[in-house]
Amino acid sequence: MDTFAEIKKILVELLDLEDREISPETYLIQELGAESIDLLELAVTINSRFKITVKDDEVFLTRFRLYLTEAEQQGKDIAPYVAKKYPFLTHERIAEIIAHIDEGPQLKIKDLISYIAYRLRGI
Amino acid sequence: MNLTFSGNRALVLGGTCELALALAGAMIESSLFPILTYRDDRGLSRIRKTLQPFEGRYETYYLNFGDRDSLDSLFSYIGDHLDFMVDFAQGNYESLIASADEDSVYRYFTENISFRAEALKMAGRTMLKKRKGRLVFISSTAAQRPNPGQGFYAAAKLASEALYQNMGLELGERGVTTVILRPGYIDAGRGSIYLHGKGGKTLETVPIKRAITRDEIAQTILFLLSDSAAGINATGISMDGGLTSGK
Repeated sequence: MDTFAEIKKILVELLDLEDREISPETYLIQELGAESIDLLELAVTINSRFKITVKDDEVFLTRFRLYLTEAEQQGKDIAPYVAKKYPFLTHERIAEIIAHIDEGPQLKIKDLISYIAYRLRGI
Repeated sequence: MNLTFSGNRALVLGGTCELALALAGAMIESSLFPILTYRDDRGLSRIRKTLQPFEGRYETYYLNFGDRDSLDSLFSYIGDHLDFMVDFAQGNYESLIASADEDSVYRYFTENISFRAEALKMAGRTMLKKRKGRLVFISSTAAQRPNPGQGFYAAAKLASEALYQNMGLELGERGVTTVILRPGYIDAGRGSIYLHGKGGKTLETVPIKRAITRDEIAQTILFLLSDSAAGINATGISMDGGLTSGK
């Protein structure tokens, strides 16, 4: 199964994106305008389509900023601390998110792809 | 009036109480398929005995409020097909606030608020898959006008009302709606014991001078589940003969 193609199909349907160009690098919230209710429905659809458990806070990186704050308050190295919370993200991706965190919500389609692959491995 | 329904599979939480059983009968007669939850063998027997004429037209499933494994199991069984949920489940804890046992309070709120929120989450997500569903919470006028000792019961009911109300606000645009029913004095279950113990004087305070019947409640819930009530969302309705409308 081509995960990106499946996710694209789901997003086109959910967000009414008929002629929109989207790629794994597309931001869900910043570019596609996904709101909380859209993300909830996306989580439910991913669960149904891929037959995996979906934890909304995890897949949508909802607590990313909170974890940055926690790491700072506890005097821990930020990147490894956050990496433990999001084991489906690569270190490069975590560094990328941290570098651009002040530009707005960093959730991209490629993060969903990573999460689904991680869950499909049975972890 | 012939009621029509968008769906037929209805989960009835707290399915062993008199009201739930009256509703189940009415549902079956309207071609709905209720799945009634029970938490012990005595409750299961009560369901089977009461619904004996309707064998094969309903299902039962174990659910113990506070037991998260039983909740997971229930929703695994339900799968992706759930059209309605009616929630009668309510534990009882009577105590003055200032003399309540702390452990009992923690357990009571875990079972009656946190667990209910989890059940609501699962039901909502299931219904969202088809962008269609209706949830009815059976509250009580005791939530607004509790007697001394009913503070925890009232708190649990009011918190649960808020959860159901918000679910309707949040998911209404995706076809999942909610409504809260607040019955007053009912001549059934705990209500019946209370009313007969007080010698009927309590009903003097009710403008219609009588208790609401089980069948009236069942028919009202059936209406609230029907297509005719689709515009009622994220709100509560009192069914108390006018009790809470006056001084």
